[in-house]
Amino acid sequence: MTRLVDVPAQFDDRTFEQFAASFAQGAAGGERLLFDAHATEWASPYGLVGLLVAGQAAHASGRERPLLTVPANPRVLSYWARAGFFQQAALLFEIHGKVPKVKPAEESDVLLPVTAVRAAEDVHQVVSHIQQRATAILTSQLGIDPKATMGFAMALSEACQNIVEHAGTGGWVAVQHYEWRRRLAKRVVVIAVGDAGVGFRHTLEPTQAKRFGDRWGDGAALEAALIQGTSRFRDPGRGQGLKGIRGYLSRWDGKIAIRSGTARIAIAPSWDDDAPLTEGLSAFPGSQVLLIIPEQGTGTP
Amino acid sequence: MRPIDVHAVLQQSVPGTYADLVTRPTGRAVRERIELTIAGAAVLRMDFSGVRCIDYSCADEIVAKLLRTVQVLLLRGVTDAHRLALEPVLQGHGLAVAIEMGDLLEVLGPPEAAAQVCEELLARRLAERTAGGALALVAA
Repeated sequence: MTRLVDVPAQFDDRTFEQFAASFAQGAAGGERLLFDAHATEWASPYGLVGLLVAGQAAHASGRERPLLTVPANPRVLSYWARAGFFQQAALLFEIHGKVPKVKPAEESDVLLPVTAVRAAEDVHQVVSHIQQRATAILTSQLGIDPKATMGFAMALSEACQNIVEHAGTGGWVAVQHYEWRRRLAKRVVVIAVGDAGVGFRHTLEPTQAKRFGDRWGDGAALEAALIQGTSRFRDPGRGQGLKGIRGYLSRWDGKIAIRSGTARIAIAPSWDDDAPLTEGLSAFPGSQVLLIIPEQGTGTP
Repeated sequence: MRPIDVHAVLQQSVPGTYADLVTRPTGRAVRERIELTIAGAAVLRMDFSGVRCIDYSCADEIVAKLLRTVQVLLLRGVTDAHRLALEPVLQGHGLAVAIEMGDLLEVLGPPEAAAQVCEELLARRLAERTAGGALALVAA
């Protein structure tokens, strides 16, 4: 028997919980999973990475290789292909539907195609690639000071390193820029990083659980990592990465949100109404990090 | 004292040709290679020319950890982008480094640590005060 996991029509961080709930329900049994994206009209990098994470978790759970029905809309299909999604998905899913053969885009809104991150070497490649692709776009289209584009690479590097250092498994990163008409009426750059690893709670439990007592859980773990900058290592130099990302985003009026296990934490600027901490969500494997940097200097609506 | 070419050490430490000092394993590999060559030196000069980007993890692994044994760290070729990572790391550890800006030196780090580095530089005659009160590098 096959259990259906619905992929939302508009698949981004806002609709991710629908997907997580559907996945949690499907994953509760031992049946084969069918990820149904045929009606999906749009997916953000966060959605694409999240879909791979779910596929990896389903794949790793020992059940039959999950199925994926591709979007019916050829424009969407072509975009997913250009974003490098199918290259990664083919390793996890039995794909149903015709996938167009296109190279990941060189001249498009895809700044970094969906890229696997397993080791430090992958982070080097990601940082190198993004600096060649992103600098012109960050400065000309988002109005970010050319000197500050290096901070973007640093933030990306630190976000990816969370996978290498803590997840205990591989993950993915994707970077895209686009016009956010409805939400912000500005251009934005979106970085999505996700893995199906052990998550923040598991990583920090040995050193932080006692300190939080009854409050300990996915939410407290995210709070410890993002707000308090704690790390599983006693070395005082650890925990700088997320702190550095926060500093960079705060300077450019950006947003960070991290989802892990059953909780999600966000540090949102004035243009966003995301809740600072949400607990009791559907369980979802690993950690998902979302960074958004908006276009500068045109005033927030 | 010849400065250590950090970019060259990076090339020797990781497979592939990269100009970015990123990730903790890379930082560790670079630092360990440097440590092999300095053998208990109290003063170390490092040249960051050619290094495009350094992230917090590498700044911590290389600069902060070298300062556990080295008393004075003189850095050259430091860009604004490098400072983005160096400043918070130095702040977090309460450490300071001297940055060569032509003939002058700028001490980067929290005030107490910066004052200590200034004293060391003067005491070791690596620097002298200019008439305007700035720190100038003494030619070796």
